[in-house]
Amino acid sequence: MEVREKVKPKYSFFKNFILFQPPWRDIIQFLLLAGFFGWLIYLSSTRLEYKWQWYRIPKYVFQIKDGHLVAGRLIQGLLFTFKISGVSLIFTFIFGLGTALLRLSGSFTGRLLSRLYLELIRNTPLLVQIYLIYFVLGPIIGLDRYMSAVLALSLFEGAYSSEIFRAGIVSIHKGQWEAAYSLGLSGFDMYRDIILPQATRRILPPLTSQVITLIKDSALVSLVALSDLTLEAKILASDTFLTFEIWFTAAAIYLVVTVTLSTIVSLMEKRFQIRT
Amino acid sequence: MSEKKLGEHIITVDNVSKTFTGGIQAVKNFSTKIRRSEVLVIMGPSGSGKSTLLRCLNGLEEPDSGTIIIDGIPLDDDKRHRLEIRKEVGMVFQQFNLFPHLTALENVNLAQIRVRKKSKKEATEMSMDMLTKVGIAEKAHCYPAQLSGGQQQRVAIARALAMMPKVMLFDEPTSALDPEMINEVLDVMKNLAREGMTMVVVTHEMGFAREVSDWVIFMDDGQIVETGTVEHFFKNPREERTKLFLSQIL
Ligand SMILES: Nc1ncnc2c1ncn2[C@@H]1O[C@H](COP(=O)(O)OP(=O)(O)OP(=O)(O)O)[C@@H](O)[C@H]1O
Ligand SMILES: [Mg+2]
Repeated sequence: MEVREKVKPKYSFFKNFILFQPPWRDIIQFLLLAGFFGWLIYLSSTRLEYKWQWYRIPKYVFQIKDGHLVAGRLIQGLLFTFKISGVSLIFTFIFGLGTALLRLSGSFTGRLLSRLYLELIRNTPLLVQIYLIYFVLGPIIGLDRYMSAVLALSLFEGAYSSEIFRAGIVSIHKGQWEAAYSLGLSGFDMYRDIILPQATRRILPPLTSQVITLIKDSALVSLVALSDLTLEAKILASDTFLTFEIWFTAAAIYLVVTVTLSTIVSLMEKRFQIRT
Repeated sequence: MSEKKLGEHIITVDNVSKTFTGGIQAVKNFSTKIRRSEVLVIMGPSGSGKSTLLRCLNGLEEPDSGTIIIDGIPLDDDKRHRLEIRKEVGMVFQQFNLFPHLTALENVNLAQIRVRKKSKKEATEMSMDMLTKVGIAEKAHCYPAQLSGGQQQRVAIARALAMMPKVMLFDEPTSALDPEMINEVLDVMKNLAREGMTMVVVTHEMGFAREVSDWVIFMDDGQIVETGTVEHFFKNPREERTKLFLSQIL
């Protein structure tokens, strides 16, 4: 624990002024920040003589058709973003965990292979990887547009998440391995029943940010003409000239999704902690 | 002291050496034989190689040379042999090493289900028997973090016993415990000894050694310095190193 010296604080007008104390301090800071961004937006729209037409936006989010609520184009794009992120997530975990296990294995070839994969992926841009897989590898091994994008995304995120998995696995105390070993558990059972359940709890926070990164990175698939949220926004923006409104809306949708996700996970963490 | 019958040799250690990377030779040309139902206590100063020797006996450490045979199975490179020995030799650690994400009952169940291929029901029956035996059945559904050190160590013993091992190894099982909890663990171990379990125990608990051990090895610097009964060690230890050590712990 941190030891703080107990020095009698000097009387200071500023520190004792009510507006410089919480919660007022935080409220004022927030308002100042919000005001600054508002001013920035105002400035850019007046400079560009931008005419805000927010009323035209809702139909791109949700529409009422024959008395039914249907998804507008942006939400349709979001659903596709969910789909491709979800499928990529499964492969991300497979690649990530597989690579982590290979790196920790006794096999020289396995360790070499995983190192090669990691360095290759982490030292080239994702966009280049997507293009390479879509234009070069895809046609060779017969992957369609969608599968190429899934492969590229999950190879990329898999490399990063493998480091998270590895850190989680090596963080498990040596005694756990030894106890499992001396009970006669196989390597597979050891990982399934002892190591991974404990590691997962520890790596949940970095793993969540990896999932969030995956959702954000999935925007790049718009570049191979897959109609995710970003591509829909791009098309709408150029069709309607509602550039500001559309992009703000798209950003807000991404934000809602990612913030919701991290909130759910931090709630989950709290429940896990009760036991361990 | 004991009316129990000692059987044939169940553990044979022949000329075992272990050097760690870095050049520390923890065990040097160590040989000994242990009979079925025997209780052997190993003592020695810190760093004398007690843990390393014990860990060699169930394959947690790989000796550089020498042979170890347990219940007729050589501890060699053959994976089946190693697995068989891991199943037949139970180990209790100084730090308990319970699985923190599993309840006491689940800790004891796990290897029975995975390794002995029992049904959950059969395993639970056995586990409850073992938890009763170590006097902690009412805590079956607690997680390790909810148990005291002594209780955790008893669960760890139950977990090893549930595998029906032929040999039990204990590495300073009470030295991480608060004094008031030492006896509850030692009592469990004494009962086990009286039931005829073959036990190799690294401990400095002289009371335990006196009550149930058949003989004692005093080791230093990776080697046997002196062997004998507890009485021998109390009355007329031969070696200077033994005398010095005993004067420090008694
Ligand atoms: N994994 C390891 N790597 C390197 N050296 C080790 C390792 N484990 C033990 N040693 C060294 O081997 C020697 C014997 O260690 P060991 O743990 O067997 O002693 P011990 O008799 O159990 O001691 P203690 O009473 O402190 O538990 C010590 O010098 C120790 O530093
Ligand atoms: Mg030791």
